[in-house]
Amino acid sequence: MTTAIKADHICKTYGAEHRALDDVCVDVISGEVLVVMGPSGSGKSTLIRTFNGLEEIDSGELDVLGIKLDNEADPRHVQRIRRRVGMVFQQFNLFPHLSILENITLAPMRVQKQTRVQAEAKARSLLEQMGISEQADKYPAQLSGGQQQRVAIARALALNPEIMLFDEPTSALDPERVKEVLDAMRTLANQGMTMVVVTHELGFAREVADRVLFMDSGRVIESADAKTFFNQAQQERTRKFLNQIN
Amino acid sequence: MRACKALIRHCRFYPIDSVLSLGVIALIIWVLWASISWIVQAADWSVVSSHLPLFASGSYPLDQRWRPLLWISLLAALTLITLIVPIKRGSNRWMGMVLPWCWVFMIPLGLVLMAGGLGLTPVPSRAWGGISLTLLLTVCSAVLALPFGILLALGRTSDLPVLRHSSRLYIDVMRAVPLIAVLFFGKLLIPLFLPMQLEINQVLRAVVAFALFAAAYVAEDVRGGLQAIPETQREAAAVLGLSPLQSLQLVVLPQALRIAIPALTNQAIGLLQNTSLMALLGLVELLGIAQNLLANPAFIGRHLEVYVWLGALYWLFCTAMALLARKIEHSGPTLNGRSA
Repeated sequence: MTTAIKADHICKTYGAEHRALDDVCVDVISGEVLVVMGPSGSGKSTLIRTFNGLEEIDSGELDVLGIKLDNEADPRHVQRIRRRVGMVFQQFNLFPHLSILENITLAPMRVQKQTRVQAEAKARSLLEQMGISEQADKYPAQLSGGQQQRVAIARALALNPEIMLFDEPTSALDPERVKEVLDAMRTLANQGMTMVVVTHELGFAREVADRVLFMDSGRVIESADAKTFFNQAQQERTRKFLNQIN
Repeated sequence: MRACKALIRHCRFYPIDSVLSLGVIALIIWVLWASISWIVQAADWSVVSSHLPLFASGSYPLDQRWRPLLWISLLAALTLITLIVPIKRGSNRWMGMVLPWCWVFMIPLGLVLMAGGLGLTPVPSRAWGGISLTLLLTVCSAVLALPFGILLALGRTSDLPVLRHSSRLYIDVMRAVPLIAVLFFGKLLIPLFLPMQLEINQVLRAVVAFALFAAAYVAEDVRGGLQAIPETQREAAAVLGLSPLQSLQLVVLPQALRIAIPALTNQAIGLLQNTSLMALLGLVELLGIAQNLLANPAFIGRHLEVYVWLGALYWLFCTAMALLARKIEHSGPTLNGRSA
């Protein structure tokens, strides 16, 4: 069992007062699915955004795939880490001026210097896996939200990442579109991908998560394996949250 | 039928509106009638029709006139092809790839045809004139202004204070100065600073002055486009491991320029019309030809014909540019769900 991400007492402050991350310690083990839950503004998005250097930490130590990501990190190291850590956003963030296929092949061709043939073959097999192979030549604006999010997952997977980060991947979707995205993520988890998922989907967390982390006001309130978390949460705050969203 | 009924109902409820509308319609018909009858009957177009080659190429040497004429014809042909051939991406990839290169090629081609070289007899720039000079000035300064304007826009939005402030200073100063002042500066002052033997071509000087001036406006148009791109696009590019430069080149700029097309079209049209200012500085472009013609006593009283003809020509060029811009705009995919 190797550690993929090791966060040691990391802190992040916005402005003078607002502590987005307050002394957070988390370990993510290779191959596990960690679900991060918490009310909005609890710092869960900030936390996973530190894992690929989108947010810099103010203090503490953060180690992702053996590379240190602290406030003195070399931007080139951060860039290198990002090729090994995929990320999926709430708002999909596809590139609207590129076709679906071009969205997926952009990074493999430009960053990993793959040939077009190679990158397109990989992209088509990923789209197949996501169940949207017939959309390859369309543009993002022509796709539904659920389809766009699956393209976003395929785009992240095209770089063969070792870790996948999901920042509320289903929050911007119509309810009937949520399932298709969760199914794609479930398949990914079953293939042994290391995943950190910020979500409010209790069913998904119950079924797929190995561990659940509960955050509030920038602090980790509770961290437990999924079963313990949902059945015997230790903290009052956690039980209250679970009651409210159930 | 339904439109008629709606109209009648509208007239019944808004009688004053209806009377006013009828009056305006009558006025329009009268003006149109008067103009058309003047164009067809009263006007004497011989002043224009007997000088068509002059309008096209000015005082270009007679035996070499085919060169500017060829260039104008090629431009017209390429414009027509671009407007007619559908270039939706994916369906007609080949045309989509070749046409932009044809356009790029037109610029060096025009320069060589006009100036000579490569086996063609050299023709000095003071012999250039007419439509070919107007178009050459427009195209060359636009092509120089665009990259410079993009760089200025990037500088203006940069995180580096030195770059940001110097770009802003440049843009503010250029926009505060009237174009005619920039042109006079280029014509009169720059030669004073340069050593005697180094005489810069007058057309080149005009092009550089136009480009420097237009770049300030282009920069603000491009900045508008840049600001319309959400930060999340850069983030999405960054998490894929693209460098900031790649993110700019592959993700941000293509979208920003697409958004800026309508504003940039305005600039291009303005640039074309501004080239007429060069007539004041002694370049015999389209307006210069007209003025030279009218200075001839033989054409006294033919002002209206010549200026109506000029107006029609400028209208034709500007419409062609607007149509081309619309074509480019519609050739790409929809951005952000909005129809482009």
